[in-house]
Order: sequence, then structure tokens, then C-alpha cells
Amino acid sequence: MSDLRIKYERTGGFAGLKLAASFELDDLPNEQEEQLRDLLDEIDFFKLPVQILPARPGIDQFTHKIEVEGKKGKHSVLTTDSAAPEKLRELIDLLNIVARAHRKKN
Amino acid sequence: MHRYPITCIIPPHMLKEIVRNGTQEQREFAILTLAASEQFRGQRHATRDLASVLSFALAAGKERIVYDAQQGSKLPGVPVRREGDPATADPAVNEAYDGSGLTYDLFSEIYGRNSIDGKGLRLDSTVHYMKGYDNAFWNGQQMVYGDGDEDLPESQRLFNRFTIAIDIIGHELTHGVTEYEAKLAYFGQSGALNESMSDVFGSLVKQYQRKQTAAEADWIIGEGLFTSNVKGFGIRSMKAPGTAYNDPVIGKDPQPGHMRDYVNTVEDNGGVHINSGIPNRAFYVTALEIGGYAWERAGNIWYIALRDKLTATSDFQQAANLTYQVAGQLYGADGAEQLAVKKGWAEVGITAGSGTTPTPTPIPTPGDGCLTAVFRSLGLMRK
Repeated sequence: MSDLRIKYERTGGFAGLKLAASFELDDLPNEQEEQLRDLLDEIDFFKLPVQILPARPGIDQFTHKIEVEGKKGKHSVLTTDSAAPEKLRELIDLLNIVARAHRKKN
Repeated sequence: MHRYPITCIIPPHMLKEIVRNGTQEQREFAILTLAASEQFRGQRHATRDLASVLSFALAAGKERIVYDAQQGSKLPGVPVRREGDPATADPAVNEAYDGSGLTYDLFSEIYGRNSIDGKGLRLDSTVHYMKGYDNAFWNGQQMVYGDGDEDLPESQRLFNRFTIAIDIIGHELTHGVTEYEAKLAYFGQSGALNESMSDVFGSLVKQYQRKQTAAEADWIIGEGLFTSNVKGFGIRSMKAPGTAYNDPVIGKDPQPGHMRDYVNTVEDNGGVHINSGIPNRAFYVTALEIGGYAWERAGNIWYIALRDKLTATSDFQQAANLTYQVAGQLYGADGAEQLAVKKGWAEVGITAGSGTTPTPTPIPTPGDGCLTAVFRSLGLMRK
């Protein structure tokens, strides 16, 4: 039924703890769903490069993998804290909030 | 790689003048010449005398600024506490200030190193980075600390602020030192060694603060970082990797403490925060075996290896061989220290002194008479 599914994985960081969540956009609270849809449109997610990485890995920084699956197909982007452009960074911040909320249910 | 060749071409009376009146770089040369030569010989009483010279001579070298990102992502943010300023009402600011100060002191007083770059680089820290940022990092120029998950309801929070444990501050600052010295590439085994060096010296800063011996220390990294919602006593255990936490929400500490459990993964830059458990435990066992304060002989062996021996592509086997080699050069072949290093690596499944190692380069040491003359001229020796 849902048109978009997101898989998000955050690895690395000082604590080396993995944070992962997989969810249908429909299942999110309305406000979050809208914000995510807007951001995905704004950054034209499906046209982003598969990897947006810094020249050298960021020490103790997080690596983020975002996979979006929908009618347009499936696309994934791998990036880090410092390499992500501002709007992608906003998307990551939002995904972090969603993923941390999911964490307590797992 | 060693930038300060030890030589005694400069006569003692001149060295004395340099320490007192030279430019920053000249002073450093003179001081490091003295510091290094004493360390290499492991003379404890002389090192203690030297420490007082160092703290006098390097006083100008410690400079800190703590910035507040005010929950934004712009670095460095607004300066809130500069060197010499009194404590503020913000614990994160004071922890970043005090923690970077003590880390500076350990490197300066014990290893004769003037800050991250060895040249008095100012220590910049930013606190309150972003909202709900459960991390701390070194960005190549400065230390950055998040507040944990302060944005969540208290019952769901897992992390406190990242300045809460002094070993995290020492950890981040040591990444800076590594970047100026061995430049261990941040992937796979060299990356895990990079991480381990940060845990080693982070832990030593904590032990130095508490004046604990290797046997008394807890060897926990990041104690107090987890909230009481998490079943765990810290982020990593150098003593028993894999036992720091075991929690229904965040899972179990994945660190191995032996080569047979080495984790092959592409995540986390090839498991740099996971496999660091192996060299971490090697250091712990070495320090415990040597006894006394871990920052003295065990720390010195690791520091010299980091500064002069390890390179960007070093792996665990090479780290074992090189620390073993350094221990022999500093404290004598087959001495207690070198045997302790061998035992440390053996406990994690690595035979130090075997396999392929780069050709050893000797650590230069000055002649006895020369050094004695220098110390006498500085008024540090009686006869």
C-alpha cells in the first residue's frame, strides 16, 4: 500500500554503535512523513550520487546509509557527517530522530 | 619521521640559554632533546627533575579555547572560555577545558610533547554541537562534542553529554597527535590501531588524573556516558573487550579481545571501533605486567612507537613488532618491559618479533657525559 519505504543505517562514531531503522513513510506521524517527503523531493534523492564521501574518512564521525524504495525504483546513498550537503544533512537529522524513536520498540 | 634529532653538538651553556630565552621552536628543540634523551634511558629520578623544567619552560605552550555551537552545526561556534578564564556555569564547557588541559599536561610532562603537533598548537573544543548528537569527534582541526540525546524524553535517553568522561577528551585529542605522527590510515587494522592509540592515551589521562596504577585502574572507556537506562558500565573495556555493555535496546559490546575473534566488516571503516579491542587489551596486559603507573613505561613505549615507528599502513603484527623493538631499545633487550610487551601481544594471539616488519631504525641516544653536562648546567645535578 505504501509508496515509499526507507532503510536507514548509521555506523561508526566514537561509541561504534549501529543505529538502524526500516519503515514505511505512511506509518510515520503525519508531520514527520510530510517533512521527509518534502526533503526527498527537494534534494531529488533518486538522482543523488551513490556515494558522497570525504577525501579521507572522518575520524569518529558517523557514516550514514539511506535507501529509499518506491515507484521510481530503489536508490541508496552513502555519506558521512561532514561530507553530506546541508539539505541531505537535514534529511539525516530527521532520519536519526525517527530511527531513535524506533529503537526503543525493537 | 622523528623531527628532533638528538644531538649534543650544541654546547650545554647554549642549550641553557635556548631553554630560557629562545623562540618557541628553539626552546622546544632544546627541551625535547633533553626530554627524549631521558625517556630513552628510562631514568626515573632525572625525569622527575626534568618535569619541573618542562612545566616551567612549556608554560606558554598550553592554550585552550572552548566554543559553544549553541546546538547548531557551524564550527567552531562562539568562544566561551579562553586560557586562564575562570570556570563557567556550564559543566560541558568546564569539562572540555579541564580535560584538554590535563591531556596537554600528560603529553607535556610525561612525554615532553608540546600539544597535538609538538609545536604548541592551540587546543580548540566545541561543545553543544547540534541537537541530539550522540557523538564526539576530531575534525582534523579541533574536538567536537555533542550533548548525547538530550532531545529525547528522559526515559528514552541512552547518552549523557560527551564531555562527561575525561578519557573521551583524551581520546579525541590523541587522534590529533596520531594525525601529526604515525598518520595511521583510518580503515581496517591501521584504523583500529588509530582508535586504540586514542583509547590508550585517553585511558592514561584518566589514570594520570586519578593517580592510579595499572592494577588499580578500571580500564573502562567512556564511563558515565550511558544513562541509567542502559545496562552497561561504559563504551569499551580495555581489560575485557566485549563486556562493557549488554543491553536489550543497543545490544552487546561487539569488541573482540583476541585475534581469533577478529571481526571482518566494511561497516565502521572496517570495524575500527570494534577490532581496536585487540590492541587495547595488548596494552592493558603489557601495562599490568610491567606494573606501577601505566603512563610511565608502558605508555612511553606506545608513545615512542606512535611518534617514531608506526606508519600509515601499519597493521597489528607490525605494531606488536615495533612496540617490542621500542621496549628493547628503551629498557634493554629481554628486560622486564620487553617481555611484558611480548606477553601483552601473545595474550591477544599475536607473536611479537615475528612476521614481516620494516627495518628497525635505531633510536638515537646522546652520550652520557654530554647529557650530564647539560643537566649540570641547568642546575639539575649536584656534582
